[in-house]
Amino acid sequence: MEVPTGFLVVSLLLCFATTGYGVTFTSLQRTLVVTASPAEGQVLKAGDANITVTWAFNRTFPSGTDADYRTVKVKLCYAPISQKDRSWRKTVDEMKKDKTCQHKIVARPYSASNNTFTSTILRDIPSGTYFVRAYAFNGNDEEVGFGQNTNGKLETNLFVIQAITGRHASLDIASICFSAFSVVALAGFFYMEKSKGKSQK
Amino acid sequence: MEVSQNSDYNDRKFALPVDSEHKATEFRLFSVATPHMRAFHLSWISFFACFVSTFAAPPLIPIIRDNLDLTATDIGNAGIAAVSGSVFARVAMGTACDLFGPRLASSSLILLTAPAVFLSSIANSPAAFLMVRFFTGFSLSTFVSTQFWMSSMFSPGVVGTANGLSGGWGNLGGGATQLIMPLVYSLIHSQIGSTKFTAWRIAFFIPAIFQTLSAFAIFFLGQDMPDGNYVRLEKSGEKHKDNFSQVFYHAITNYRGWILALTYGYCFGVELTIDNIIAQYFYDRFNVNLHTAGIIAASFGLANLFSRPGGGILSDVVAKRFGMRGRLWTLWVVQMIGGLLCLLLGKINTLTASIAVMLVFSVFVQAACGLTFGVVPFVSRRSLGVISGMTGGGGNVGAVLTQVIFFRGSRYSTEEGITLMGVMIMCCTIPILFIYFPQWGGLFCGPKKGSTEQDYYLSEWNKAEKEQGFHKMSLKFADNSRTERGNKGVPVTVTSYNETPPTSV
Repeated sequence: MEVPTGFLVVSLLLCFATTGYGVTFTSLQRTLVVTASPAEGQVLKAGDANITVTWAFNRTFPSGTDADYRTVKVKLCYAPISQKDRSWRKTVDEMKKDKTCQHKIVARPYSASNNTFTSTILRDIPSGTYFVRAYAFNGNDEEVGFGQNTNGKLETNLFVIQAITGRHASLDIASICFSAFSVVALAGFFYMEKSKGKSQK
Repeated sequence: MEVSQNSDYNDRKFALPVDSEHKATEFRLFSVATPHMRAFHLSWISFFACFVSTFAAPPLIPIIRDNLDLTATDIGNAGIAAVSGSVFARVAMGTACDLFGPRLASSSLILLTAPAVFLSSIANSPAAFLMVRFFTGFSLSTFVSTQFWMSSMFSPGVVGTANGLSGGWGNLGGGATQLIMPLVYSLIHSQIGSTKFTAWRIAFFIPAIFQTLSAFAIFFLGQDMPDGNYVRLEKSGEKHKDNFSQVFYHAITNYRGWILALTYGYCFGVELTIDNIIAQYFYDRFNVNLHTAGIIAASFGLANLFSRPGGGILSDVVAKRFGMRGRLWTLWVVQMIGGLLCLLLGKINTLTASIAVMLVFSVFVQAACGLTFGVVPFVSRRSLGVISGMTGGGGNVGAVLTQVIFFRGSRYSTEEGITLMGVMIMCCTIPILFIYFPQWGGLFCGPKKGSTEQDYYLSEWNKAEKEQGFHKMSLKFADNSRTERGNKGVPVTVTSYNETPPTSV
């Protein structure tokens, strides 16, 4: 079936247009300076340890760069080692499809300096190696800048979070008791069946 | 046809009309009468419970993988483990049914695997997760006891229907669980307020308790055969307690069992594979969200409500006119079309067309499963359990093989894997052409002149055993299975039997 070339050209153009439409990470400049309290390699317990993040505008950029910044969202992001063999945490350039930073720490209206926030690490954060990244959003809720506490290659200042197990003593006991009950009930069945057999005579 | 003597006997003892083996000749879906229809309802409900337990993890994987720090490889391996446990368990279950009866065999297995489901709640590592999925998967061998029980309770004319409905409605559990588990999880998470990583653990108690209760129901309410349980029948001498090595020998030396094991691997095995990979396929290829992908995955399994039973019913309908040859031809055609649709599924690029093809594909592949178990009850009478177990186990082998070859690692994209799986289905359906019953014929050849059902079924017993009268039940079955000649050839005459065997054997 011959596909008219005009149709091909238009569809290709549309293709580029749509991909160009979403904001990509590589188009963002690192205009924020972000620090986080955990030391490199420190292990934090979810639901227990605190994390403090600070962010500010990077003064080395020309002063009007942050004119359209309205809000800042600070997120916990997976380091490459925690993304390995886990495609649901994949880094994709198009921001709408990117899954690197899935856990929000805080969202605040933008101000150029004196931003700091402390909170306990939430109990549903999974175990892994993390870094902190802040995204600046404009009025249309699109990313326009970012900052992170690690270097460009995501190698330094990474810290580890240890998740809660979700287990409780009561659950463990219930689980074991029910299991034991099943096995004992089975033994009971065999005994009943055997005695039924004997009583037939 | 049926003599009035039998129908008097029926009225006194059974709610449904029965044949000389007291197997029901009718199937009444909305009855729970002992022993036939009650056995049906007990078997499909318990099998449903086992399917729910075995596939309880997949819909909750997004939560579990974060809690247990699983990688994609861990998840893939656990999925393969879940279906591989039952490969040998199904053969073992078949043997247990032949020797101890389906009631004890299935309630024992269900109670033995319930701990694996309870202990899923305390799994703490990828290794533990793999182990609980592996052992929970053993419960899928209740499929064999389901089919065995139906074949013991229902006459050849309706056995395809009974097998198809009980198997299909049990398989439904694989689709229903994709809806049940997320619902239970979100109820626990939002209403009781447990954190995510605790809520999924509590959620697993639901399928576990359901499974345990179904085992109790089978033990207290069920009955092995129309005339009673094995234990009582053996004591009274009505049933001979069979010899394991003989039962096993007659099963593994019957080539038809092996062919059906292979072909079942490429209808049921394909169904299990799709259960494991289809949500991810739609999520990745068409960018639907996880919730939508889950619903699409569920609809594949939910088609079992009518498609597998449809296959069983079709088998019985075709057999009325064309006998066993009709059953075999229909199976071959339906499974081939299923393979073709699978090939097509991998090639389709748009979401709506893909869903449509998937649904039609699900109907054909599940109907092929129902059609297979329209043939299995006739392969052997003495070793019915082991043959059922081999076929069932073959289904799981197909699932393991297919996932390992096409859906592991990055050698093939998922769509390439699906297309290649379609090709493999068609290749592995060809052996059906070689199935031949001397008394009824095969796909291409008619029956051997002078060969009878009695010759075929009594060949499973040796002279010494026949002298002791151990073959009585096979004799009755042989005569009842004359319906498999269809009504094109020799007119079927069913003689009536009392409890004592006829004078001419």
